[in-house]
Amino acid sequence: MPTSFNMDNMPFSLLNESEQALLRASLDIGYYQRGEHILTAGGEPDGVYVILKGRVSESEPVEQGQTEHVFVHYTNEDYFGGWSAIKGKAIHNFVAEDETICHILPTRVLLDLISTNSLFADYFQQNLAAKSEIVAQHGGDQDMAEFMLARVCENTIREPLVVDEHASIHHATALMREHKADCVLVQRGNRYGIITGTDLLNAVVLDGKSVDLAAAEIASYRLITTTSEEYLFNALITMTKQQIERVVVVDDGELRGIVELTDVLSYFSSHSHVIGLRIERAGTVEALREAAEGLNDLIKALVSHGVKTRFAMDLLAAMNGRIMAKLFDIMVPRDMQPHVCLIVMGSEGRAEQIMKTDQDNALIYRDGLDWPEMPAVMQAYSETLISFGFPPCPGNIMVSNPAWVKSLGDWTQMLSDWAQRCDNESLMNLAIAVDGKPVAGNPAIFKAGRNWFLRHLSHNDVFFGLFGKAALEFDTPLTFFGNLKDKGELDIKKGGIFPIVHGIRTLALEKRVLATNTFKRIEALIADGHLKEKDGRDMCEALSLFVELRLRQQIKRIDSSQDGVDQTPNIIELQSLNKMERDLLRDALQIVKSLKKHLTLRYHLGN
Amino acid sequence: MIIPRTIRKFKERIDHRNGPYGYLFEPYDGEEVVSLDCETTSLDVKQGEILSIGAVKIRGRKVLTSDRLDIKLKPPGSLTGDSIKVHKIRASDLVDGIELDDALEQVLEFVGNRPILGYYVNYDIRMLEKFLRPRHGFGLPNKAIELSHVYHDIIKWKAVGGNVDLRFDTIASQLDLPILERHTALGDAITVALMYVRLKFGEAPDAHY
Repeated sequence: MPTSFNMDNMPFSLLNESEQALLRASLDIGYYQRGEHILTAGGEPDGVYVILKGRVSESEPVEQGQTEHVFVHYTNEDYFGGWSAIKGKAIHNFVAEDETICHILPTRVLLDLISTNSLFADYFQQNLAAKSEIVAQHGGDQDMAEFMLARVCENTIREPLVVDEHASIHHATALMREHKADCVLVQRGNRYGIITGTDLLNAVVLDGKSVDLAAAEIASYRLITTTSEEYLFNALITMTKQQIERVVVVDDGELRGIVELTDVLSYFSSHSHVIGLRIERAGTVEALREAAEGLNDLIKALVSHGVKTRFAMDLLAAMNGRIMAKLFDIMVPRDMQPHVCLIVMGSEGRAEQIMKTDQDNALIYRDGLDWPEMPAVMQAYSETLISFGFPPCPGNIMVSNPAWVKSLGDWTQMLSDWAQRCDNESLMNLAIAVDGKPVAGNPAIFKAGRNWFLRHLSHNDVFFGLFGKAALEFDTPLTFFGNLKDKGELDIKKGGIFPIVHGIRTLALEKRVLATNTFKRIEALIADGHLKEKDGRDMCEALSLFVELRLRQQIKRIDSSQDGVDQTPNIIELQSLNKMERDLLRDALQIVKSLKKHLTLRYHLGN
Repeated sequence: MIIPRTIRKFKERIDHRNGPYGYLFEPYDGEEVVSLDCETTSLDVKQGEILSIGAVKIRGRKVLTSDRLDIKLKPPGSLTGDSIKVHKIRASDLVDGIELDDALEQVLEFVGNRPILGYYVNYDIRMLEKFLRPRHGFGLPNKAIELSHVYHDIIKWKAVGGNVDLRFDTIASQLDLPILERHTALGDAITVALMYVRLKFGEAPDAHY
């Protein structure tokens, strides 16, 4: 088509004259009625579609009877289907919402242009990555080409070696050697036990067991399992947390196979487990410090690989928790550890921080514990964490501050005082404290305090009203007509993240949800019927979008700043977002708005 | 002697069926249609000269703009002020045009035995035949599809008793289609193709007149 195709739009404006001529010569025009499927998920696309006139929606394929979930609308001059074209298979349904006329750029020509024009290719592919990332967040489990989101089932499951319960240790060992495996499963009735090479060595060499003994005797029957639908990434987190090297894959009670750590590791370029191992093996503060320094790079690598922010947060929280636990282990005398409990609070407690943020931690100890060195040890502990790159808390909520080192009785007293007083400072402290999570020492002490406090609060509607009000404190940056308010930039923490986190915190506190992570809290609230599933899912999506956008801009600012410090961590610059991201942001802020409305009604917060 | 068109076409088919252009006379059983438009110096076939020819194939509901014909011809002697005002083609725009013989050859090859679609298509066909017949001895045997008839057949049910406005621009705006490059042969051919696809596959438009 000679001139009806607008070459001024990105990315087509990047093409040179002869490439534009090629593009023009290759375009077709398609006409679609309202409601017609331009592309159906799984079908083979003709190419990239550029809308000349009309409106097209992109949605997830759904079973019959379910409501369709539309990700995004495309209108005049938008293009769609690029990702599908490159993959050769449509990933979503593209449906004409109005009568639509599209230019169609055939896949063959698209690939030619990508191979001849690197700028075009960059823009095109980068945009696709961004797009698929957002789509992946929306769909929950949509395909992200990244191997990071590979599922357990794909090609990491190994055939398990299974012996019956009468097989001898000798037989099991021979079998393992024959198959070059280093673990074997023992079937006992309908249960399975696992024997690893280490188990065999310990049994025969150390415990002097006979090689004719039934292997079933030395197997361990407490299997750590996963399902084949699980993300490989989560399997890795499980292994990291449990400090094991393999998990058993079980689907609906049926044994599928075994996932080995080495296989998982070969999937990951960023050595997350290597860091985990180094943390675990660190015997001194110095060794631990070295391990901790790898974390920032790890996060950057994960994010640049397009791993979902939520998973990155999970992993980072697990890692940070283990660094603190390990340091605690090194610095606190063995005999004191069962009597104290170190908790992390705030974003760390919710497992929602990405870059290392302020350390918010506290220590609860058993009533009547006699340990005179405690203040000095805690002081040193905080300082060591600071030297690891965990910045000190500006509000001084750290174990080096005696106000945050309390006996169980004083701790609960402090919480109930705050709940009683309900002034701004108390409420802020409470908000931080109720996100607490034990990381080291004896978790039972913390749990006792928490459970008491939740019971103490129940049915105290006045408190929840005052507590929840903070979520409404900042205006949602949307105009009366529902568009983005600020042209330049907006504070995403005030406008989006805090209202969701705090609103959900209030609901969770009232409904006595024990989880501290906002996503898990939402899931729990849905499961208990306190939140509609659709609303909850929308909130999860909105929150992960906010966090994701914030993180991407943070990393950009840190990379471009001289001292590696981001002065304005919560600012989103709207110009640097593309149209689709802005649209998503707007929709997400709408969700925040409706949550606020819900809170207002729920806790009678009308002004 | 004026021989009726149908009889003449029948005779031509008998004469040329086995000639080098025999394929033109085969009945067409595919699903493609060619939308064709000529820009000429006059609306009178007898006086007119062809300036440019545009054609594009339609397959199903797709307009294959990648498979198209866009021919400019050498400027004829009759290129004068009046027609220049309409199509804005000056002699200087046609200096790199090709000979009429080559152009006809390309048109025949492009169109083949597919039906020809156009807006007042008979004018375009007769214009081409005027030059084709002296050279090859036959006219275009293809089935002709008249866009305004297609439009009229659909709209007449909604415009009972009224006269249907069949002006090009009216049809385009009734169908809510953008007009791409009015008065270039290819642009008109594409617009007509879009209108055809819209009429064939879309909902019937409302009749406002």
